[in-house]
Amino acid sequence: MRYSGLQKEVLALYRKCLRESRKKPIDTRSHFESYARAEFQKSLALDKKDFAAIEYLMRKGQRQLEMYSSPGIKDIR
Amino acid sequence: MFRTALLRSARSATCQAVRKSSPIVRPASTGLFTKSQIAPSAFQAVRCYSAGGGLDEATVTGRIADLLKNFDKITPTSHFANDLGLDSLDTVEVVMAIEEEFSIEIPDKEADAIHSGIEQICEIWSHARELTF
Repeated sequence: MRYSGLQKEVLALYRKCLRESRKKPIDTRSHFESYARAEFQKSLALDKKDFAAIEYLMRKGQRQLEMYSSPGIKDIR
Repeated sequence: MFRTALLRSARSATCQAVRKSSPIVRPASTGLFTKSQIAPSAFQAVRCYSAGGGLDEATVTGRIADLLKNFDKITPTSHFANDLGLDSLDTVEVVMAIEEEFSIEIPDKEADAIHSGIEQICEIWSHARELTF
Protein backbone atom coordinates (compact mmCIF):
# COMPACT_ATOMS: atom_id res chain seq x y z
CA MET A 1 0.00 0.00 0.00
CA ARG A 2 1.32 3.41 -0.91
CA TYR A 3 0.45 6.46 1.11
CA SER A 4 -0.43 9.86 -0.28
CA GLY A 5 1.56 12.92 0.75
CA LEU A 6 -0.98 14.00 3.31
CA GLN A 7 -1.23 10.51 4.78
CA LYS A 8 2.53 10.45 5.15
CA GLU A 9 2.39 13.77 6.95
CA VAL A 10 -0.21 12.40 9.36
CA LEU A 11 1.92 9.34 10.06
CA ALA A 12 4.96 11.55 10.54
CA LEU A 13 3.03 13.61 13.08
CA TYR A 14 2.00 10.44 14.91
CA ARG A 15 5.60 9.27 14.92
CA LYS A 16 6.68 12.63 16.28
CA CYS A 17 4.10 12.33 19.05
CA LEU A 18 5.43 8.91 20.01
CA ARG A 19 9.00 10.21 19.95
CA GLU A 20 8.06 13.07 22.23
CA SER A 21 6.30 10.75 24.64
CA ARG A 22 9.56 8.78 24.95
CA LYS A 23 11.05 11.83 26.63
CA LYS A 24 8.40 11.79 29.34
CA PRO A 25 8.86 10.02 32.71
CA ILE A 26 8.79 6.28 32.28
CA ASP A 27 5.66 5.63 34.35
CA THR A 28 3.48 8.19 32.57
CA ARG A 29 4.76 7.47 29.07
CA SER A 30 1.94 5.07 28.31
CA HIS A 31 -0.59 7.78 29.17
CA PHE A 32 0.91 10.09 26.56
CA GLU A 33 1.04 7.30 24.01
CA SER A 34 -2.55 6.24 24.53
CA TYR A 35 -3.67 9.87 24.49
CA ALA A 36 -2.01 10.42 21.12
CA ARG A 37 -3.49 7.20 19.86
CA ALA A 38 -6.98 8.21 21.00
CA GLU A 39 -6.67 11.64 19.40
CA PHE A 40 -5.71 10.12 16.06
CA GLN A 41 -8.35 7.44 16.34
CA LYS A 42 -11.08 10.05 16.75
CA SER A 43 -10.59 11.20 13.19
CA LEU A 44 -9.79 7.82 11.68
CA ALA A 45 -13.15 7.67 9.96
CA LEU A 46 -12.52 10.91 8.11
CA ASP A 47 -12.68 10.72 4.33
CA LYS A 48 -9.16 10.87 2.96
CA LYS A 49 -10.22 13.39 0.32
CA ASP A 50 -11.43 15.83 2.96
CA PHE A 51 -8.26 17.89 2.77
CA ALA A 52 -9.48 20.97 4.58
CA ALA A 53 -10.55 19.00 7.63
CA ILE A 54 -7.39 16.91 7.69
CA GLU A 55 -5.16 19.94 7.40
CA TYR A 56 -7.03 21.68 10.16
CA LEU A 57 -6.67 18.66 12.42
CA MET A 58 -2.97 18.40 11.55
CA ARG A 59 -2.37 22.00 12.58
CA LYS A 60 -4.35 21.45 15.74
CA GLY A 61 -2.34 18.32 16.47
CA GLN A 62 0.95 20.09 15.90
CA ARG A 63 -0.01 22.83 18.31
CA GLN A 64 -1.05 20.26 20.89
CA LEU A 65 2.21 18.38 20.41
CA GLU A 66 4.22 21.53 20.99
CA MET A 67 2.22 22.25 24.10
CA TYR A 68 2.51 18.78 25.60
CA SER A 69 6.17 18.36 24.70
CA SER A 70 7.21 21.08 27.13
CA PRO A 71 9.25 19.41 29.89
CA GLY A 72 7.03 20.88 32.62
CA ILE A 73 4.19 18.57 31.64
CA LYS A 74 4.79 15.22 33.29
CA ASP A 75 1.47 13.44 33.12
CA ILE A 76 -1.66 13.41 31.03
CA ARG A 77 -5.05 11.83 31.48
CA MET B 1 47.43 1.70 52.59
CA PHE B 2 51.10 1.83 53.44
CA ARG B 3 51.70 -1.48 51.76
CA THR B 4 50.08 -0.39 48.50
CA ALA B 5 52.10 2.81 48.51
CA LEU B 6 55.27 0.79 49.02
CA LEU B 7 54.33 -1.58 46.20
CA ARG B 8 53.55 1.29 43.90
CA SER B 9 56.83 3.03 44.54
CA ALA B 10 58.72 -0.22 44.05
CA ARG B 11 56.88 -0.86 40.81
CA SER B 12 57.55 2.62 39.45
CA ALA B 13 61.17 2.22 40.38
CA THR B 14 61.44 -1.01 38.39
CA CYS B 15 59.58 0.62 35.53
CA GLN B 16 62.04 3.46 35.43
CA ALA B 17 64.92 1.02 35.67
CA VAL B 18 63.55 -0.92 32.73
CA ARG B 19 62.93 2.23 30.78
CA LYS B 20 66.44 3.43 31.42
CA SER B 21 68.02 0.12 30.50
CA SER B 22 65.81 -0.73 27.54
CA PRO B 23 67.33 1.59 24.94
CA ILE B 24 70.72 0.09 25.62
CA VAL B 25 69.85 -3.56 25.92
CA ARG B 26 66.97 -4.03 23.51
CA PRO B 27 66.23 -2.76 20.06
CA ALA B 28 63.75 0.15 20.00
CA SER B 29 61.02 -1.69 18.10
CA THR B 30 60.43 -4.28 20.83
CA GLY B 31 60.63 -1.77 23.65
CA LEU B 32 56.86 -1.35 24.11
CA PHE B 33 56.11 -5.04 24.20
CA THR B 34 58.77 -6.01 26.68
CA LYS B 35 57.90 -3.12 28.92
CA SER B 36 54.25 -4.15 29.04
CA GLN B 37 55.23 -7.70 29.94
CA ILE B 38 57.38 -6.62 32.82
CA ALA B 39 55.04 -4.00 34.24
CA PRO B 40 51.52 -4.92 33.15
CA SER B 41 49.93 -2.79 35.88
CA ALA B 42 50.77 0.38 34.01
CA PHE B 43 48.69 -0.82 31.06
CA GLN B 44 45.73 -2.34 32.84
CA ALA B 45 43.87 0.95 32.96
CA VAL B 46 43.61 1.03 29.20
CA ARG B 47 40.80 -1.15 27.95
CA CYS B 48 38.98 -1.32 24.68
CA TYR B 49 35.24 -1.28 25.20
CA SER B 50 34.14 -1.55 21.60
CA ALA B 51 32.29 -4.72 20.69
CA GLY B 52 34.06 -7.20 18.51
CA GLY B 53 31.64 -7.47 15.62
CA GLY B 54 28.28 -6.10 14.54
CA LEU B 55 24.90 -7.71 15.09
CA ASP B 56 24.51 -10.93 13.21
CA GLU B 57 21.30 -11.74 11.41
CA ALA B 58 20.17 -14.42 13.87
CA THR B 59 20.40 -11.99 16.79
CA VAL B 60 18.41 -9.39 14.93
CA THR B 61 15.74 -11.90 13.95
CA GLY B 62 15.52 -13.25 17.48
CA ARG B 63 15.18 -9.85 19.06
CA ILE B 64 12.51 -8.76 16.61
CA ALA B 65 10.59 -11.99 17.17
CA ASP B 66 10.71 -11.39 20.93
CA LEU B 67 9.52 -7.86 20.45
CA LEU B 68 6.66 -8.81 18.15
CA LYS B 69 5.42 -11.32 20.72
CA ASN B 70 4.39 -8.37 22.87
CA PHE B 71 1.95 -7.32 20.22
CA ASP B 72 -0.98 -9.60 19.56
CA LYS B 73 -0.74 -12.37 16.98
CA ILE B 74 2.24 -11.11 15.02
CA THR B 75 4.71 -13.47 13.41
CA PRO B 76 7.80 -12.28 11.55
CA THR B 77 6.43 -13.19 8.13
CA SER B 78 2.96 -11.76 8.44
CA HIS B 79 2.00 -8.67 6.52
CA PHE B 80 0.91 -5.97 8.92
CA ALA B 81 -2.08 -4.64 7.06
CA ASN B 82 -3.24 -7.64 4.99
CA ASP B 83 -2.79 -10.54 7.40
CA LEU B 84 -3.15 -8.84 10.73
CA GLY B 85 -5.58 -6.05 10.02
CA LEU B 86 -3.31 -3.48 11.58
CA ASP B 87 -4.11 0.05 10.55
CA SER B 88 -1.45 2.55 9.61
CA LEU B 89 -1.16 3.83 13.18
CA ASP B 90 -0.47 0.31 14.48
CA THR B 91 2.23 -0.11 11.88
CA VAL B 92 3.87 3.10 13.03
CA GLU B 93 3.75 1.84 16.60
CA VAL B 94 5.41 -1.45 15.72
CA VAL B 95 8.14 0.31 13.77
CA MET B 96 8.71 2.69 16.65
CA ALA B 97 8.96 -0.15 19.13
CA ILE B 98 11.61 -1.76 16.99
CA GLU B 99 13.47 1.52 16.66
CA GLU B 100 13.56 1.73 20.41
CA GLU B 101 14.73 -1.86 20.84
CA PHE B 102 17.73 -1.30 18.61
CA SER B 103 18.33 2.35 19.53
CA ILE B 104 18.22 3.47 15.92
CA GLU B 105 16.13 5.95 14.06
CA ILE B 106 14.53 4.77 10.85
CA PRO B 107 13.92 7.69 8.51
CA ASP B 108 10.26 8.41 7.76
CA LYS B 109 10.59 7.52 4.11
CA GLU B 110 11.84 4.03 4.86
CA ALA B 111 9.50 3.56 7.80
CA ASP B 112 6.50 4.20 5.54
CA ALA B 113 7.71 1.43 3.27
CA ILE B 114 7.76 -1.20 6.01
CA HIS B 115 4.75 -3.47 5.89
CA SER B 116 5.88 -6.81 7.26
CA GLY B 117 8.18 -8.31 9.82
CA ILE B 118 10.57 -9.64 7.20
CA GLU B 119 10.98 -6.24 5.57
CA GLN B 120 11.66 -4.88 8.98
CA ILE B 121 14.35 -7.41 9.68
CA CYS B 122 16.03 -6.54 6.40
CA GLU B 123 15.78 -2.89 7.32
CA ILE B 124 17.35 -3.37 10.75
CA TRP B 125 19.97 -5.62 9.30
CA SER B 126 21.05 -3.01 6.76
CA HIS B 127 21.08 -0.34 9.45
CA ALA B 128 23.07 -2.53 11.80
CA ARG B 129 25.64 -3.05 9.12
CA GLU B 130 25.84 0.67 8.42
CA LEU B 131 26.29 1.38 12.09
CA THR B 132 28.98 -1.11 12.89
CA PHE B 133 31.20 -1.20 9.85
